[in-house]
Amino acid sequence: MSGVERSGARRSPGDGDGRDEDGELPAPAFVAALAGLSGMGPARLSALLGAWGPEEAWGSVLAGRAHLDPGVAAAARGVDAALARRWRAEATQVDVIGRWREHARAGVAVTARGAGGFPPPLLDDHEAPAVLFHQGSLDALRRPRVAVVGTRRCTAAGRATARELGRDLAAAGVCVVSGLAAGIDGEAHLGALAAGSAAPAAVVATGLDVVYPRSNVELWRRVASAGCVLSEYPLGTGPERWRFPARNRIIAALADVVVVVESHARGGSLHTVDAALERDRPVMVVPGPVRSPASAGTNDLLAAGSPPVRDVDDVLVVLGLDVAAATRGRAAPPVPSDPLAAAVVEAVGWQPTTIDELVARLGQPLGRVAVELERLEHEGWLVRSGSWFERAVAPG
Amino acid sequence: MLASIASATLFGVDGRPVSVEVHVSAGLPGFTLVGLPDTACRESRDRVRAALQSAGLQLPQRRVTVNLAPSGVRKNGAGLDLAVAIGILVAHGHLPADAVAGLGLLGELGLDGSVRRVPGMVPLVDALPTPAVVVPFDCAAEAALVGRHQVRGVTTLAELVAALRGEGPWAEPPPPAGPEAAPAEPDLADVRGQAVARLALEVAAAGGHHLLLVGPPGAGKTMLARRLPGLLGDLSPADALEVTRVHSAAGLALPPSGLVRRPPWRAPHHGASAASLVGGGTSFMRPGEVSLATRGVLFMDELAEFARNVLDALRQPLEDGVVQVCRARASVVYPARFLLVGAMNPCPCGEGGPPGSCRCSDAARSRYAARLSGPLLDRFDLRIDVARPDPASLLAGPLGEPTAPVAARVSAARSLAAARGVRSNAELPPWSLDEVARLSAGATAMLERALRSGGLSARGLARVRRVARTLADLGEREGPLGEEDVCLALQLRAGPQRLGVAA
Repeated sequence: MSGVERSGARRSPGDGDGRDEDGELPAPAFVAALAGLSGMGPARLSALLGAWGPEEAWGSVLAGRAHLDPGVAAAARGVDAALARRWRAEATQVDVIGRWREHARAGVAVTARGAGGFPPPLLDDHEAPAVLFHQGSLDALRRPRVAVVGTRRCTAAGRATARELGRDLAAAGVCVVSGLAAGIDGEAHLGALAAGSAAPAAVVATGLDVVYPRSNVELWRRVASAGCVLSEYPLGTGPERWRFPARNRIIAALADVVVVVESHARGGSLHTVDAALERDRPVMVVPGPVRSPASAGTNDLLAAGSPPVRDVDDVLVVLGLDVAAATRGRAAPPVPSDPLAAAVVEAVGWQPTTIDELVARLGQPLGRVAVELERLEHEGWLVRSGSWFERAVAPG
Repeated sequence: MLASIASATLFGVDGRPVSVEVHVSAGLPGFTLVGLPDTACRESRDRVRAALQSAGLQLPQRRVTVNLAPSGVRKNGAGLDLAVAIGILVAHGHLPADAVAGLGLLGELGLDGSVRRVPGMVPLVDALPTPAVVVPFDCAAEAALVGRHQVRGVTTLAELVAALRGEGPWAEPPPPAGPEAAPAEPDLADVRGQAVARLALEVAAAGGHHLLLVGPPGAGKTMLARRLPGLLGDLSPADALEVTRVHSAAGLALPPSGLVRRPPWRAPHHGASAASLVGGGTSFMRPGEVSLATRGVLFMDELAEFARNVLDALRQPLEDGVVQVCRARASVVYPARFLLVGAMNPCPCGEGGPPGSCRCSDAARSRYAARLSGPLLDRFDLRIDVARPDPASLLAGPLGEPTAPVAARVSAARSLAAARGVRSNAELPPWSLDEVARLSAGATAMLERALRSGGLSARGLARVRRVARTLADLGEREGPLGEEDVCLALQLRAGPQRLGVAA
């Protein structure tokens, strides 16, 4: 660790060739190179950086001596001679300066643990990342932080709730932390950005140049410019299955409170919940309809004793923030003025509903219901996905 | 001595006349069969010899040569047995040659001298130029459908020989089958709720629109599809004969009257090969499932599980109403004008209907959707989601409208289509749509909205208009298409968006 501190490890590779005044590469360049080796997870990287400074660690890897340090060999995921040989073979191919410049060009800053500016909540975490790559400023994390997470396969109601929570939390000065995934995650970020107040932060499971899912590329850019997007992986790291649960632990560690909006009975957001419980972070849950598979996991959490989230105030109370900042009590959602249209919107309720069910509930002929649905969808009262209609929370 | 007997062999769904020539001469005793017989046909030698002995007809040891003319055409099956046996008798002088003049003979012989039925009696008899035909007794009704021949049914070779010698009577023709009790087809009344799916069935039946049902296991897709043939009217006499020819050629069991009057229902398993679906084979060109379903319903359950090449083989018959099967030795054209009903799950886990309920990854879903090619998917005018019905409505809901009144509306709509010069609205040519499927102002606005939002493709537009026309016909609404019809047509086509297509 001492090596990191000595070279003042928090730094952005600026213009020029990335070297500092005395012609030496900064320590983070070596950390980035180390993080890019295959089989290099947070445990091994922390062990290496604990045994040597970044530059010396890179030197031992290049010399194939990484396994010789007893601390490294005995780390949680130890390093044996075979791995050390593999690393040596890989490391000889790595152009440390070139990679460092790549990060510079992509506007990615590298902060190693122990350096100034490393987010305090991660410092004493038992599975802390050894390094963070980030776009945007880590200052966004100085506020109270709430993770809003949930399934990618969500309902329209879930989307609306996530967006609303994101917006209201940001308006109350809270940094919304999420994973930039499709579904709930993305909606929470959108809401936080819409508030134009406290900036959101995103933790992703890929290199910062690999936007996943592709459809979120615009949202990704907006979060990076307003707040920050961070990852523990260097540029070029692809979306691999195991990296997502690993990413979730960082979200949980960063958050003061974790709010789950919708989760299936076995979903990725439950990893975040487990990680949060391990770290004694409060987990709060948005209740869902008992018949909705997208709320099965969250309702299980409620039954297990997690406190419910009805609106942003429930979260703000747990954070110890002033609830007067937000409005207690929600206005009844608007209803169209036309009586038939109002009856249709009422009959759709807050669950995905098919035309068949509406025909049965309304007792109206199919053709009339279909025309009414088409109009309501066009006017934004309803959201359609395939043959299912869902009520829009904020029409228009 | 020489004899020549008229008979026929089956080629695809058509018969071809064959002249069985028998020559008996002195020389080394033997029996030669020439003229491109297939295996079953070549073995006729042994069946005929045994059958003649069983019938008590002892023949002297002579040299017998049988030629099946025209000798360049491949003969298949055992249907020539009877002609060979009688030819031998005539050539030996056991029967007078004029007894068989003007007589066509069809049938397989058993070793005991019995005469057995062969597949394809209708096309075979149709191919015979003779004024009278002798057929196996239980095929007499089938043979009589052609209507140009005097049909004689025989049960044994001995009986036939006696009748030809004038020593015994011809068997009485079987009494014409009385009006058949309508075969029990499942009734639409069993379907509770499911308003959209019921409407889709009605529209499919009335307009000849192909239908794709997408839903989780247990939603009732098969149950719904099974009720579609009941909505279709009886086959017209010409159609009935066409269907009967195909079924007869494929050796399917025919109803007692011999004539298939109800639209057929075929449901091949998803393991089906391309040849079994469109027809073919090496020497014997058998009609495939698409032809057996002609004028009826072809139901393909688990559509996405069919091999991709099998599905794409459907495209020609769907477009042209016929299927041309080409092999090195032959090329035949089968009729294939069927109503296609496909059923599939929305995604691999099967639960991907309502938002937020699927367990599949995006990649798995797009792989699944990609199993159906765009052009095939486009042929379905109606694509609907079928949701698992609510348990409460299954037990307590009111019975649905029964088949009979729906079938009456369907037949009325079909006659409106016939007045436009097409068999069904699905066949309306694009240039006629502006005339027969004019749009009201409201409907135009609605279609514009759908086109702009990307929910409807330009190609889908014509199909939606045809479906809307059918809906208006069912409701007996004339004039320009109204908002309701167009809206429902959109609804019936746009359902499973998860398949990754616009309507």
